[in-house]
Amino acid sequence: MSAEARPRRPTPTLAAPTPEPVPSPDPTSRPREKKPFLLDFFPLETADQTRLSRFFERLKEGRVSTTRCVQEGVLLWPPRTACPGCHTEDVDWVDLPERGRIYAFSAVLGGAPLGMESDVPFAVGLVDLDGVPLRLFGRIEGRAWTELRIGQSVRLESFDIGDGRWFYRFRADD
Amino acid sequence: MNVRDVALVGGATTKFGVRASTWAELAQEIGVALFRSVPELRSEDVDSLFLGAAEPERFAFQSHVAPFAAEQMGLRPHRIIQRTELACASGQSAIRSAYAAIASGLSDVAVAVGVEKMNLPSMAEANTAMASVMDRAWDGPHGATAPPFFAMVAQRHQLEYGTTDDQLAAVSEKNHRFANSNPEAQFYEKTFSREKLARLPLVAPPLRLGDCSSMTDGAAAVVLVAADRARAYTDRPAWIRGTGQYSDFHNLANAGSLTDWVGLKHAAREAFGRAGIGPDDVDFAEIHDCFTISEIVEYEMFGWAEPGKGGPFASEGQGDIGGKLVVNPRGGLLGCGHPLGATGIAQAVEVYRQMSGAAPAARTVPDPEWGLVHNLSGSANVHSVMIYQRGGAA
Repeated sequence: MSAEARPRRPTPTLAAPTPEPVPSPDPTSRPREKKPFLLDFFPLETADQTRLSRFFERLKEGRVSTTRCVQEGVLLWPPRTACPGCHTEDVDWVDLPERGRIYAFSAVLGGAPLGMESDVPFAVGLVDLDGVPLRLFGRIEGRAWTELRIGQSVRLESFDIGDGRWFYRFRADD
Repeated sequence: MNVRDVALVGGATTKFGVRASTWAELAQEIGVALFRSVPELRSEDVDSLFLGAAEPERFAFQSHVAPFAAEQMGLRPHRIIQRTELACASGQSAIRSAYAAIASGLSDVAVAVGVEKMNLPSMAEANTAMASVMDRAWDGPHGATAPPFFAMVAQRHQLEYGTTDDQLAAVSEKNHRFANSNPEAQFYEKTFSREKLARLPLVAPPLRLGDCSSMTDGAAAVVLVAADRARAYTDRPAWIRGTGQYSDFHNLANAGSLTDWVGLKHAAREAFGRAGIGPDDVDFAEIHDCFTISEIVEYEMFGWAEPGKGGPFASEGQGDIGGKLVVNPRGGLLGCGHPLGATGIAQAVEVYRQMSGAAPAARTVPDPEWGLVHNLSGSANVHSVMIYQRGGAA
């Protein structure tokens, strides 16, 4: 799939338009050197490697999604092929809310894993997604960790990690 | 089938720290130390070996490590030989497995050994190994490691209960002070006042360097035997009276409350129930202070401090000699360092030393009848607890 084909999800029109954040240096967006699989945390995303490849295909469309147990209606995170509650494999895909609020956060100021040393310092946090009972962990870009606060609204977004794969993160944009 | 009583009859640890030794050399060193510290033990007595090792594939590029360790130590186990892996609780897992084997009659004399070599030429590679403890595909790419996770625990504890940075530092000061009397500790003969700790650099805010245990090389081993064999090795055995374990979640998204460690409460209830005692009966505890905030939450979850009052419990010295109970007299993970698979074993060595009267005066627990050992692993998602009783008849 070419890197040019990136249809973005339309911006929601319910909220007042917010200015695009000033682009900040984003080390995760530059081309990445390919690391050996066993030293690379980013997962293998294609359908010949994982039964969850639709998650990554939807990321390329700007949609962060997860699986839902069709029997129980429960949202499952991370995405899975089977419900841990009723053990059905009858799961479908649903888009996650685009925003959430920070429940807790910190920052990595040293001791980063291979390939992330030049990202330091970077913020991470647990975010309660709006309207669903899910609390996701992730990078928080867009603001220095010193400017984050508990309860702050952040956007859940997908991004191109630079080697043809996509992942998700949060962006502090208020 | 009757469950047999199991005795801890001795043990040893290597020097913990940044060691100019390979994994294999640490295993050889602990073999020498173990046979020296338990003089009556003969290699042919040891029918089973349980090796706690968290990440030898990552840190030493070595698999099939249990027989590898047996050869280094000069053992030829003929009943059970296996490795236990439970990240930071790999060592206690080895002891629990040995306990189960002896209690069931499968083994009579077992060695539980822990070996970990963590300091590599590239610390980024070592950090990558540590990060693989988390959910590698969903938490790993964000840069999840232990420090930012426990930093979030500290942040929530500070928000919900008003715990202060100085109360965190009180834990670090105490455990480093105990480590001062422990020549095997990574931070032997190093002093850390609360003021000095407050000036150390932030690692993952609000946690500073002194709030975090270290990347450490080291090994430790204990001998566990069936009741009828105990007197062959010591006249001061420590008895395993209870144990419990609970696995709550794995992915960080499924942690629930960061300050209410439900899994620890379950594991503690199981262990206390089997031992027939309660939290107030515990004289000393070796609990998992991978970070200062961990020890504070553990004070509360074990029931020694009221919910939310772990901070004042620390600053009032309730976990110090002269307090409610003595917590981490060995020096803890903060003072001794944390060679993952060796930590749980070294805690049991401290239990034996305290109960047999071999601990140095600076960290002697008064009248130590009941001792508790706790390890968490990963993101505090699994908790393992063991309870020991001093001497007496089986």
